[in-house]
Amino acid sequence: MKKGILTACLGLLCFSNAYAGGFQLNLQGIRQLAMGGTGTALTWNADVIFYNPAGMAHLDVWQASVSALAIMPNVQYVKNNYSAYSQEQIFTPFNVYVGGPIGGKKAQGKIAVGVGIYTPFGSGLKWDDNWQGRYITREIALQTIFAQPTVSYKFSDKFSFGIGYVVGYGNVKLRQAVPIQDANGNDGSGELTGTAWGRGFNAGIKYTVNRTIQIGLNYRSQVNMYTDQGDAKFKVAPSLADSFPNTKFKTELPLPQVATIGIGFRPFARLTLQADVNFVGWSSYDSLQFDFAHNTKQLEDISAPRKYKNTFTYRFGLNYAFNPKIAVMLGAVWDPSPVQDDFVTPDLPDADRMVGTGGIAYRPFHGITITAAVEYVTTKPRNGNYAYENFSGTYQTKAITPGIGVSVDF
Amino acid sequence: MKKLVYTICCLLAFAGCKPELEMEAPSAGGADFSRYVAVGNSLTAGYADNSLYRSGQESSYPNILATQFRLVGGGDFKQPLLPGNYGYPDAKLVLGIKTNCAGITSLSPIDYAGAADTNGSSNSIAALGPYNNLGVPGIRATDFLVNNYANIASFYGNADYAKRFYKDPSKRPLDEVVHAVNRIKPTFFSLWIGANDVLGYATSGGEGNAPGTALLGLVLPGDISPIELFKKSYDSVLNNMVSGGAKGVLINIPDITAIPLFTTIPPRGLKLTETEANFLNQNLPLPGMQFVSGDNLFVIEDESAPGGMRQIKTNEFIILSSEILDSIKCGGWGKTTPIPKEHTLTLDEVTNVNNATTAFNQVILDAAQKHKLAHVDINSYLKTVISGLKYNGVDYNTEFVGGGAFSLDGVHLTPRGYALVANEIIRATNATYGSTIPPADVNAYSGLKFP
Repeated sequence: MKKGILTACLGLLCFSNAYAGGFQLNLQGIRQLAMGGTGTALTWNADVIFYNPAGMAHLDVWQASVSALAIMPNVQYVKNNYSAYSQEQIFTPFNVYVGGPIGGKKAQGKIAVGVGIYTPFGSGLKWDDNWQGRYITREIALQTIFAQPTVSYKFSDKFSFGIGYVVGYGNVKLRQAVPIQDANGNDGSGELTGTAWGRGFNAGIKYTVNRTIQIGLNYRSQVNMYTDQGDAKFKVAPSLADSFPNTKFKTELPLPQVATIGIGFRPFARLTLQADVNFVGWSSYDSLQFDFAHNTKQLEDISAPRKYKNTFTYRFGLNYAFNPKIAVMLGAVWDPSPVQDDFVTPDLPDADRMVGTGGIAYRPFHGITITAAVEYVTTKPRNGNYAYENFSGTYQTKAITPGIGVSVDF
Repeated sequence: MKKLVYTICCLLAFAGCKPELEMEAPSAGGADFSRYVAVGNSLTAGYADNSLYRSGQESSYPNILATQFRLVGGGDFKQPLLPGNYGYPDAKLVLGIKTNCAGITSLSPIDYAGAADTNGSSNSIAALGPYNNLGVPGIRATDFLVNNYANIASFYGNADYAKRFYKDPSKRPLDEVVHAVNRIKPTFFSLWIGANDVLGYATSGGEGNAPGTALLGLVLPGDISPIELFKKSYDSVLNNMVSGGAKGVLINIPDITAIPLFTTIPPRGLKLTETEANFLNQNLPLPGMQFVSGDNLFVIEDESAPGGMRQIKTNEFIILSSEILDSIKCGGWGKTTPIPKEHTLTLDEVTNVNNATTAFNQVILDAAQKHKLAHVDINSYLKTVISGLKYNGVDYNTEFVGGGAFSLDGVHLTPRGYALVANEIIRATNATYGSTIPPADVNAYSGLKFP
């Protein structure tokens, strides 16, 4: 038996999702989401803890902001006369941000502190167990939760700085078929599950040019998520069970650095326009590696090439306030894929994304804002090939993400 | 509920949530696949695991092709199917747990022990024909001109496969081809014959004649077919196939020394301890022989060598069989007893095999060009399988058992291996006739089954 058997089987197990460039979930802050994920320049609410910690110093009062979303992704794969759809699933990322000036409203302090708990990367994709790509992936599910205690300092009315320490927790599940048939002709299967930890930081500066224009810079560091006690479980024909021992595995997934410049423009009181440009350092994701504690001839360590390239994402959003109680938001995003043509994998069939967003914010009385938003993502059909596994076809992704959030001043 | 939420959200987005990619519409191009006939040998019949059985026949490459042809107007494809899966006439090989002569228990090919469900298979089913699959295990190109072939096939060590479905076993296989052409009026055909014209020589250790001579049109088993007779026979079959204007595909002969039957036992497979090596160095003091602790070249019989034996060369082959595996393990073969010559292919014999394969393949290529037919260079394709290929995440190579493409006899293919072949044929057919027949999903077919 050749070692290749399992390199083939497990080569593609990977951490990823399908709904934002690479496996990044750009679903932070419901109001910012409704504006195409812009929010580095202006302080809308406590969600700025994620978008730009510097902006937190501009919160007048203590605020808690909570939002929940439901991602409903749909991927289609077509090759020749074969077509497969991913199974319908709903994922529910959430975000909680709490922050405000030390001393509260009356102090008008220069220092603000806060914490964000949010899900920056994640979700999943599930295919039919017998689909044509089953030896590469059947299911992937990834969840990350970041906790970010943050401090922000206002040097002057024009200039502020903020930084947060990021602790990331993740869990992952990967399933695929193993190309060894038992006496009844059934495929073997492999499942990897694990939890991972990582750390990093999120820092930014904000500069208020005048009443009309504000500028923000934000840098979120790379966060390497480590797993050293993942569980690898295999089910194969009994005569080969010793070759596929249930064992532990180690792996590391680099969640990329993101640098953003954002500008906010308020030509008149009711209308706000925002634009953000993200640089995403995807090139850190060069390969996916699994180091099994117990290797056999058939179960060797895996190194599957990914070779992502860095990308720039362009975001535009607007907010129009009809009156102090009701505002609407719109946004658009161009999010090019970090995945090169020869590395399009069925667990993350990434493609250039066009995103449209919209939302409505309602303030029933002072101190409470309820916001509903929706994001719609579509890709052009992409002819992709994953040369490493010789798996090619045309993919298209559509995803819809409704969300709702509330922020409360206190 | 989930569905409802989903639907509402889709409506909210003013656009569908579901991607709607179009599938390609396959087309027949400049060929007509409505009536397909396959002519060939064991590979065409769907032979595998040292036997013929129903599920193997159902995964023959012609049946896989016919399934794909149906997407572009192909019709029924009738095969002389056996009633069961035991194997005919003898039990097929399956993977099982076996204790070898040295008392070591391991996974290895063993005879299938299930119920014999192929009884009665010797009875003729010709009346239920005509059959689209004319594959006959063991048949050589030169046999197509031999009278009474189906009745005397057992003389070759072949079973009565042909007799089972030939309309008139007393005539030549060529007449059976003519009969099928007249009855079915094929619009498309595949022709893959010739491998056995050199395989018999190789599997018997190159002890036959290269080339042999035909006696009353009959080449002795173990001989390489003479090229003139090969060409005459091949052209006769082909002329009949194209006589009604059918288009088709010709498949050439693979390099048989690349199949697991010859490549599984490595020449440098003699493992010795230091004591054994020293013992041999003192007791087999023939020129050129040298033994070290570790891996050594096997000792083989060679009449032309001093003492009638020598060490094998790295580009020579030992033919895989359970007999030789046991004899190497427990009988001192390749060590104190030279491996008998009928179990090896020496350099001269390999050259004979290569030369014959090259000559036969030239005949096939010339014929394809002359009749403007599709040509599949399976010989070249096999080389890509040797270096290993991937199909939708699964590795395939020519390794015995582990390679996934070859069945347990080391010569014939697994259903997945046959599907890979079918896809090469589809590729060549599409290229020649401008058709867009989709390839088969190789992994939808069965591979080796492990207990």
